Amino acid sequence: MTRPGDREVALVDLVDRLLGGGVVIAGDITLSVADVDLVYVSLRALISSVATAEEKRLMPAMTDALTKEAR
Amino acid sequence: MISLVAITDASAPPPSAPLRAVTAGSLCAVCVPADDEPVTVDKLVDREGVLEALMEDRDVLPVRFGTAVADEAAAARVLMERREELEAALDHVRGACELAVRARLLGAVEHVAHASGREYLRARVGSSEEARRLHDRLNAIARAAVVRSGPDVLRAAYLVDRPAVPRFVAEVQDAQQSSRELSILCTGPWPPFSFAGEGAPS
Repeated sequence: MTRPGDREVALVDLVDRLLGGGVVIAGDITLSVADVDLVYVSLRALISSVATAEEKRLMPAMTDALTKEAR
Repeated sequence: MISLVAITDASAPPPSAPLRAVTAGSLCAVCVPADDEPVTVDKLVDREGVLEALMEDRDVLPVRFGTAVADEAAAARVLMERREELEAALDHVRGACELAVRARLLGAVEHVAHASGREYLRARVGSSEEARRLHDRLNAIARAAVVRSGPDVLRAAYLVDRPAVPRFVAEVQDAQQSSRELSILCTGPWPPFSFAGEGAPS
């Protein structure tokens, strides 16, 4: 089972990768710093986006990490 | 304007609409009409879906989101001007995908900003021998690894040959089951964003 918060982590991983990773074709990025900041703000607020990702069957291979949270 | 989605081999199958392939030499730039609207999380999720679909039947070098050029001729020029570098980058990730691993100490505070001073220290204290061993085992399976600093005792991205992914995942699960002190989360497989060259996230 994925734990509550795991899906959020996966979404953060997704946003970090798309906005901060990948090959850079210099000089042709059309996103401003403000655009990127807004995405991270909405990332926190938009839990519905996680539902969207799940509806679209993304991130299917999230590993089950057995939880041993201390009580 | 057209947005660049990914760099692939020119020999890859034609992508489905609305994606278009711009080919120059041995490389192909997969493109889509650029969108003037502000970027949203949903758009990033959609783009990830596009990349994952491409990855099902070809090697993919993902392009940073928001990268746009004037037109297809400009895309072809990029491929020609940066041919050697892009070919090397694509070769580096050929046949592999990215897996992300985070490990944190059990009982570590989730939101460090709101923790008491004592809880903050407990979350940060020391490095974990278990985490180091986990990284060593995963690194041995992976083709390459990028380890990042942060509040987690381990936060890393691994470039893993696709046939080795089940073994990698099994290693993570085994580590979690036997761990005394770690909570481990693995996400992926991702397109190899962190191994695309100068675009690797920090």
